[in-house]
Amino acid sequence: MSLVLTETPLAITSCGVVSPAGLGLEALERALRHGLETPAEPKESPDGYPPRPLWAIPDLGVAELLGRKGLRHVDRLTKLGLVACKLALEGAGEELDADARAHTGVVLATNTGSLTSMVEVGIDTLVQKKPYLVNPGNFPNVVTNACTGQIAIRNSLRAVNSVVSSGQAASLAAIRFARTAIEQGRASRLLVGGVEELSPAAAWGWHLSGALTEDAPIGEGCALFLVEDAEAVRSSGRTALAELLACEVAYQGLGTAREQGEGLRHCVERALERSGVSPGEVDAVCLSATNHWVRDQLEEWAVGEELGRPVPQVQVGEVLGELYSASGAMQVAALLARWREPARQPRIGLVTSMGEDGNVGCLVVREWR
Amino acid sequence: MSETRRVVITGLGAVSCIGIGVEAFIEGIREGRTGFSPIESFDASEFPAVIAAEVHDFDPAAIVERLAPEHWGRSGQFAAAAARLAVRDAGIDPELLSTHRTGSIMGTTAGEAQVLQATVEQWVANGLKNVDPRLPGMTPVSQIANAVSYELRLSGDSQTIPTACSASNMALGYAFDLVRAGRADFMLAGGADAVNRACHAGFYRLGALAEKVCRPFDANRSGIITGEGGAVLLLEPLDHAVARGARIYAEVLGYGVNCDAKHMVNPDADSIAECIRIAHRYAGVRAEEIDYICAHGTGTPTNDVTEVKAAREVFGEQVPPISSIKSMIGHTMGAASAFGAIACSKAIEEGFLPPTATVEKLDPAFGEGLDVVPGAARPATVELAQNQGLAFGGNNVVTIFGKVR
Repeated sequence: MSLVLTETPLAITSCGVVSPAGLGLEALERALRHGLETPAEPKESPDGYPPRPLWAIPDLGVAELLGRKGLRHVDRLTKLGLVACKLALEGAGEELDADARAHTGVVLATNTGSLTSMVEVGIDTLVQKKPYLVNPGNFPNVVTNACTGQIAIRNSLRAVNSVVSSGQAASLAAIRFARTAIEQGRASRLLVGGVEELSPAAAWGWHLSGALTEDAPIGEGCALFLVEDAEAVRSSGRTALAELLACEVAYQGLGTAREQGEGLRHCVERALERSGVSPGEVDAVCLSATNHWVRDQLEEWAVGEELGRPVPQVQVGEVLGELYSASGAMQVAALLARWREPARQPRIGLVTSMGEDGNVGCLVVREWR
Repeated sequence: MSETRRVVITGLGAVSCIGIGVEAFIEGIREGRTGFSPIESFDASEFPAVIAAEVHDFDPAAIVERLAPEHWGRSGQFAAAAARLAVRDAGIDPELLSTHRTGSIMGTTAGEAQVLQATVEQWVANGLKNVDPRLPGMTPVSQIANAVSYELRLSGDSQTIPTACSASNMALGYAFDLVRAGRADFMLAGGADAVNRACHAGFYRLGALAEKVCRPFDANRSGIITGEGGAVLLLEPLDHAVARGARIYAEVLGYGVNCDAKHMVNPDADSIAECIRIAHRYAGVRAEEIDYICAHGTGTPTNDVTEVKAAREVFGEQVPPISSIKSMIGHTMGAASAFGAIACSKAIEEGFLPPTATVEKLDPAFGEGLDVVPGAARPATVELAQNQGLAFGGNNVVTIFGKVR
């Protein structure tokens, strides 16, 4: 009963990336080729971190990038989003005028928001003299849309401002949201991506849950893409980095792990079909669950089954650490980083997601020509 | 892709402090019954304000069929129970939903706040490394939509939209877009939140908490009562609903969404007015055709004055009857707009105006001729209803519902 669709592509006209490799696509490209030089440690915390590798973003240079004003009550997660946003908007070449900003929105993937901010308020209710003596300046940070709100405020972006949570597949779900929002006229441009912050709460959460392989590093980062309707970009004679073709997601939390693999396989099949791309045209695959027990093999299996041949992989989780909400967006950024090296033909990449909660997804990305 | 289809509401599920199930909920709304009571979910004795709008008699196991409640947080339980009730209310075969492309989009403000509260308690008592290892997997806000998908065996989009207090209007809008554009066959859309200590403390510190009663639009209003619950609506293509002879509550005509981009917590009247105009444009309706506004109506001095100012900008002197159901169920946060949508759907179906139950003395600052439907519901023909959600972050979402013609 669903209408059969061929998706209208979104064009990525610019991107802002903050990762353990540093700032920008060039740093990411270097890390993808040679690994992280020396992974930065997170700032020490009285609660301590679990005994496993932790890869923080090296010197973020927040003050130089964002100025010193108005950041006192802004948490790290929001700072990552603000820095990525700044890089993306600056990279767009022409500055967006007031009217363009009024029609630009923000869609960000996060499954938790800033756990640091939430936990801080939560702990205050237990350890302060009175349970209500929480810091009122920090309270607005506990909402999961604090980051998108701050991005909008500091950049006067007045169209739809939203957050999407869908486990490991959150970034792909956000991209799907962005496509629908632009197609339905809710915004003409969107900053879309995902963000994840390294904190004791998040690191212990992963560690205690037992979901990650033993030595899997935990990372952090934010990748944001400025997107608009690809047709609009073409017809105005502008250029872009890549096109986001079909993005298909599914919930597979009901069955066995094997059935989840099947579910992902169907997503890959549908995404290729709706992109008008044949399995033989795919040049690169970028997987998400590479740090996760069982899922890593299932994801690889599902993609292999659908493509029917070995396809070169662009490794993200191994290089940058576990990025959870931000993983899908960082996978897209990784393809863009690898595509900085010119090729004869426009390349096509597959980004997949698979998580413990049962959400799976597949996105097809095509280099711009 | 140009083809779109009409989308209607055919199932309603409510788990609220004034009643569980849509009939009980609406009975409470019509009577103007309030659900404010002393907090039981945490020790509030050290708080100056000890009243909330909790759902004391919620037993998830009595409602859900598949979900094991102990594996999910209270918000997820609310959402799953409300979704199950919505499907039963729709009289649709659950098998039909699980074999078609059906998904779940749920709004929330504080996510699984009670899970996080338990985590923080264990952390402070025993250290972070000794926290119950089952809790991390229950913490992500994404688990709220997943609870619905799991309960109903859905395999479509399963996403939580945690955009604070207009979240379930955003969820409803997005789910509407997915069905309208053919990306989904059916959608469960709504929201859920649970009363918790951190949220209660935060609103108290912002000076936004009422001591005993939430009195929207009253001259002596003093703030919100923190509330909780789950509210879910089943969205179905009109053609399909007609073909199966479904009871249709209302059509989702469209929605407007924008962002103030000015301040994290203070609302902005011009921006809200613009959002209302956007909603009218998308829905293809004129302001003078709106019969009822289900206000965000939190009962804080700032919200209500700003919201009425925005309504005046759009409607001039002829503001339609405008009421706040938060006067009865408190501020259910991420579920608030979905409860509003249920109230609008029933108002259209049964022909009544939901009341502002607790208003005693209408604030004269709102000007002449403002009808906030004081006390109890009033019979009225409602062809078009407008449901407003305003949130931290400056997120405004306005949904428009109409009688199917």
